[in-house]
Parts: sequence; structure tokens; C-alpha cells
Amino acid sequence: MERDLQKLFKQAVYQPESRLSGDIWRVIETKEKRASTIKSFSYGFVGIISLILLVPMVSNLVNQLSQSGFYQYLSLAFSDIGSISLYWKEFISSVLETIPTTSLILVLSLLFIFLISSRRAFIMFKSPLLTV
Amino acid sequence: MNSSDEDLIKEYLSGNQDSFKILIERYTTPLYNFIVRFVGIDNAPDIIQDVFIKSWKNINKFDISKSHFKTWIFTIARNTTTDYLRKKKMQTFSSLDSDEDSFEENIKDETILPDEELSEIEDKEFLNKTLEKISPKYKEVLVLYYQEEMTFVEIGKILNKPTNTVKSYHYRAILELRKLILHQNL
Repeated sequence: MERDLQKLFKQAVYQPESRLSGDIWRVIETKEKRASTIKSFSYGFVGIISLILLVPMVSNLVNQLSQSGFYQYLSLAFSDIGSISLYWKEFISSVLETIPTTSLILVLSLLFIFLISSRRAFIMFKSPLLTV
Repeated sequence: MNSSDEDLIKEYLSGNQDSFKILIERYTTPLYNFIVRFVGIDNAPDIIQDVFIKSWKNINKFDISKSHFKTWIFTIARNTTTDYLRKKKMQTFSSLDSDEDSFEENIKDETILPDEELSEIEDKEFLNKTLEKISPKYKEVLVLYYQEEMTFVEIGKILNKPTNTVKSYHYRAILELRKLILHQNL
């Protein structure tokens, strides 16, 4: 009975229009293209914004480094290696104290966001969906 | 073209766009035959399109190790059809669910639908017209079991029902089919 019913059901199959699967694929392709375009522009936008913000943040970091005496410690490291090798622990802790941590974290975060978003935007723009 | 569904999904996720196109071509007719029996020929194409769009949007969430693509896409098809019927305020699959769902039966009588009665429905139109009169919850079991050759376990996953309930539905569906054939022959 089971096989007979299977046979009957197979015979009673409705045939969809031959273009149906093609039409569905075209709709999905269009949606995919639109989604890729939006994503690539979003990544590009984030990349540009992070780059714009990076300029004043880097300049602020450089200012803070010069004000804190970081460069003086750095020049000492190259000019008087003998003293530094004797008092290296004190030297390292003094150098670390001069680093403007908040600004440095902000700059590195922005740099990271810029690199990631630029990479993704580049991949998206290279995608065949956008170049078709 | 002979790649498994799971291989095609992996290929699609790794950037081969044509793999999803093959899946659409592979499942358009089976899904059409499932959906058309509940919403009719005019509405079926739009619902199939929705099913494929939903599956495309959620393909990243599909876990190859946990279920088969066929079961997954038929679950989406069932849910989409239910939503459509609910919007149209038509009879849904679950509207006929009742306490009797827990009733468990085993088909002991293999001749519940004897050959003489089966021979009556050898005509394609006759079967389709008979199926139109069967309750949706029984009809979906019949279509998935006989047309898609799914197991009771797979059907249970799609319907979100225990396997024994699916077996019970199947038994009742055959009884209803028999009743309808006998009634139409009178």
C-alpha cells in the first residue's frame, strides 16, 4: 500500500512554471547586491570617520608625549646606555608614567577600527556581486 | 549538480553564489508541491519566494551538524504557509489540533487502504481533489511522507510534534482518505 501511495503521489505532482526558480534567484541576487552595497558603504563610512578622528587624536597624543617628557627619556635611552643598564627598573617605570594611556588607547582603537573597516570595505567592493 | 545540500551550503558560505541557485532549483518543485496543496496555485509562487528569501537570510544560522537542509527548509515553508493562512484567516495546520493529538496508534492493519480503493485514485486529478478535502494537519503528513518520502521522525521535526503523534496523524489521514474515496464512489 505504501509504495502504491508513493507512486500515486509522485504521479500527482504539480509542476511550477519553469521560470519560477530563475525569478526567485533574481530577487535574491538583487537583495544580495543591495545588502552588499549598503555594507560596503557602511564600512567605507566608518573607515573615513575613524581616519578623520585619527588625525586630531594622533596630534593630541604627540603633544601629550612631548609635554610629559617622554622624548627626553627616549633620548636618554640612546645617549646614556650605561646608566640605564644600571637603573633599568626605575627608568622603565618613569617612562611608563610619562605615557598618556587614554590617548594611546584611543589612537590604537581608532587605528584598529580604520584597518578592519577598510579591509571589509575593500573585500565588499571587490565582491563579484558589486562588479556584475 | 550532484553535490549534497550541505556541500552546497558550505560552498555558498565560502563565496560561491551559484551554490544557492542550485539549491533553489533543487527545492522549487518539492516546496511548490507542498505549499500549493494549502494555498492554491495562484498564491504558491509568492510563498515559495518568501521561503527562499527567509532561508537565504538565515543560512548563516543553519547548523549542518544538527539537521538536514531539507527538514529545515520544509519547516520554514510550513511556518511561512501557516503565517499566510493566518493572515488570510484560513484554516491553519494547527487549528484542528486537539487533545486527541496525544492519542497513539500503530498501523497494524496494512490493508487499511486496500488495493481496490487505491486503484480508484490512480487518476492524478482524483487524488488532488481528494487531498483538497482532507484536513490540513493530515494532508501535510501525507504529502511529506508519500511525496517527499520523509520519515516520521523528520516529519515530527517539521511539525514540531512527537513521532508517535505523527504516526497517529498518518493513520487518521489514511482513514480519512479511505472515507473520502468511498464517499466519492457512492
